[in-house]
Amino acid sequence: MGETKQIRTSCRGCHGGCGVIAHVKEGRVTKVEGDSEAPIGRGTMCSKGLAVTQLAYHPDRILYPMEKTDSGWERISWDQALDTIADRFRGVVEEHGAESIVVGQGTGRDYESFLYRFANLLGTPNVLTAGHMCYVSRVGATLITCGNLPVSDFEGEPKCLVVWANNPLWANPDEYKGVDFWAAYQKGTRLIVIDPREGFLAKRAELWLQLRPGTDAALALGFLNVILEEGLYDEEFVERYVHGWEAFVDRVEEYPLGKVEEITWVDKGLIREAARVYATTKPACIQWGVPIEQTINCTDSNRLLTALMAITGNLDAPGGNVFFVPPPVRVVSEFGLHRDLPKEQRAKRLGGDQYKLASRVALVTPKAVWDAILTGEPYPVVAGLLCGTNPVVTRANAKEVHAALSKLEFLAVIDFFLTPTAELADIFLPAATWLEQDYVGDFWKRHGYVMARQKVVEIGECWQDHKIFQELGKRMGQEEHWWATLEDALNYMLEPSGMDFREFVRGGYLKSEMRYQKYEEKGFSTPTGKVELYSTLLEKWGYDPLPQYREIPESPVSRPDLAEQYPYILNAGLRTPVFFHSEHRMIPWLREIRPDPLVEIHPATAKRHGIEDGQWAYIESPRGRIKQRVKLNSGIDPRVVVAEHGWWYLEAEAPDHGWDVSNVNVLTDNDPAGYDPAMGSTNLRVLLCSISPCQNE
Amino acid sequence: MDRVALLIMSEDCMGCHACEVACKQEHGLDVGPRLIQVVERAPLFVPLYCHHCSRAPCQVACPADAISRDDRDIVLIDEEACIGCLACVEACPFGAAQFDEERNVAVKCDLCRERLLDGGEPACARACPTRCIVWGGVKSISERVARRAAARQLMT
Repeated sequence: MGETKQIRTSCRGCHGGCGVIAHVKEGRVTKVEGDSEAPIGRGTMCSKGLAVTQLAYHPDRILYPMEKTDSGWERISWDQALDTIADRFRGVVEEHGAESIVVGQGTGRDYESFLYRFANLLGTPNVLTAGHMCYVSRVGATLITCGNLPVSDFEGEPKCLVVWANNPLWANPDEYKGVDFWAAYQKGTRLIVIDPREGFLAKRAELWLQLRPGTDAALALGFLNVILEEGLYDEEFVERYVHGWEAFVDRVEEYPLGKVEEITWVDKGLIREAARVYATTKPACIQWGVPIEQTINCTDSNRLLTALMAITGNLDAPGGNVFFVPPPVRVVSEFGLHRDLPKEQRAKRLGGDQYKLASRVALVTPKAVWDAILTGEPYPVVAGLLCGTNPVVTRANAKEVHAALSKLEFLAVIDFFLTPTAELADIFLPAATWLEQDYVGDFWKRHGYVMARQKVVEIGECWQDHKIFQELGKRMGQEEHWWATLEDALNYMLEPSGMDFREFVRGGYLKSEMRYQKYEEKGFSTPTGKVELYSTLLEKWGYDPLPQYREIPESPVSRPDLAEQYPYILNAGLRTPVFFHSEHRMIPWLREIRPDPLVEIHPATAKRHGIEDGQWAYIESPRGRIKQRVKLNSGIDPRVVVAEHGWWYLEAEAPDHGWDVSNVNVLTDNDPAGYDPAMGSTNLRVLLCSISPCQNE
Repeated sequence: MDRVALLIMSEDCMGCHACEVACKQEHGLDVGPRLIQVVERAPLFVPLYCHHCSRAPCQVACPADAISRDDRDIVLIDEEACIGCLACVEACPFGAAQFDEERNVAVKCDLCRERLLDGGEPACARACPTRCIVWGGVKSISERVARRAAARQLMT
């Protein structure tokens, strides 16, 4: 009998971060549990991380590279796989140029820097991530407004927490985990929750603002209106550190509370009360969630919340929304070699002329890629390399995504399983889970830490994503920019800290000393050195320099003509605590907890359509129809239907695996008319739908 | 030894289900028996788990005397002695006595007895991010609940 070894590492079940102790016996992980000494997670773990052994040792996981042949998928060697990809990509570069290759990833994962390094050296400006409507869009909007992303400072003892479109206890709020939010809350804070749905936090909140989905920007303008009218802002901060105050005030005054109530459905008295509590309880922080970024109002919603933080004196103040000091490691943009992408290639970025903020943060909007694949305009995109992404399920207008990816001449996919997206590939590369990799975890985040992740086991022939990009890069003439081993690359990343990867692993994590109100010394990192409520960059790029509320393109207000056929607002993308986006549906422990996709409707809605609790129902939009199982919830507005995202069924027949059965993105639209003008963010969240019972099910 | 117990302060349960997976992993259970389970009734969550009752209905119901208590009052099933009759499953008012169809025996929470003997805490409590799963001596649990009630009243 072998000894059980306990190895300290860090999870990447979601974006990552939580410290883990992995128990290993005879080369196999038998158990994982939270590391009480880790600053992220603090000994707790979520269901997804705890279920990692069922992911790593899943019988359907692909453990070796494969090539699609006329008789199906066949096992090949890593050399064959990488040589094939390199040959095909070289052919595309010669025939069309590097821009005709799209490189993509899904949710934020810490191989981003390796992926960008590969793509920039390859010379393609077309990197497709979720960033245009998730996190990077927030980073972009705050970079141009206040020079950095303000993050909730839960350890700084906030006295008021505003949870805006987020459930930090269920969903990963990008930076900190829910455990820190909870610790701050337990110390006795006031709690304001802004959510169309009455969840766990809304129920506990002192004030719950149940807004019409997608109207966050209008609600923020309402808050600002109260704060300006009642003089609840920090005059000294505004005078010294705000650019464009008068113009901003004029803009805010265009949104009096009566108008805001009409737009948002939130009682104006309640808005007034919430704005007062936020502005007068110091310090206060806003914990913001991704839904505000997934509509036409992405950039302005982010800018308006930043304005609230700034003018109440909560920006970079202890317990407010702060700029954490990054640990001394090379940053993503430097490691990703963004400066090495030739200027003429950068100019070819799809949609780059139109979505200038997205281009600034090196992103493309997906439809620009689908259009280029399907129409050849403005130039053909014919090949792709996708890592950890399942766009057939996670991007708007799934049918178009499926058609576009099917049309690529060559596609390589890096993943754990044959997803509906991977089934469209020519080459499949098996990725390592977080148990099988060495890395500087949370490298891309802005919470002030990096976490050591170390390889605990090896499984099959799986490689960690970082190594795949490095080895493929070497085969594509990038030898001089990569390292002999992955550990050499990690040592380079860690070089500014003065330690190598092994020393880093021994310490477990790195954190810099936090300093607050850094702007007092050097201002804000914007063109004017101030918080640009009036954005000089947006103005320069030809956009409205002041934030506004735009009506959702498919809503009862903007499309009354659709109201008869599609009478409900579909609030798409409800999170579950046991799955991360389109992942984990095949994990037995997790699927037992949530066997079916859920659509929540108000009991009155159910009654109107003769739908029972627990029955399957069709949800239909102008784009298509799906089915999910009904869960009654009296805590949503009867005019709203709330549906989960990310569903496909590994167990269903290949190659489709049921991607169009319950996938909410069969319903969403990707018409550019609905995009955020500067960021190109797709509207994944708010549309019109009907609901009806499925018969015989 | 002091009597130990486990209590979930359900008001603070936010329905993340981490406890369920931690428990499955600790006890090597596959799909099927759920020794701890959180039932969702939006926006509320109802944790179902073994209370290690003082007068345990499962123990009373068992015709095979397969259910006993150890020196810390943890209610345990002797799987060797279990005849698989489901009497305990029916008797438990909390739905905490479960049946493992693979092995044809009743299974239930053992309060992670082995972990406690090693100086650890139950796997479910270790994972819980809101720390709503409290365990330990019965007296210390009562005191914690009282402290929490007092803190709540002071806050409002």
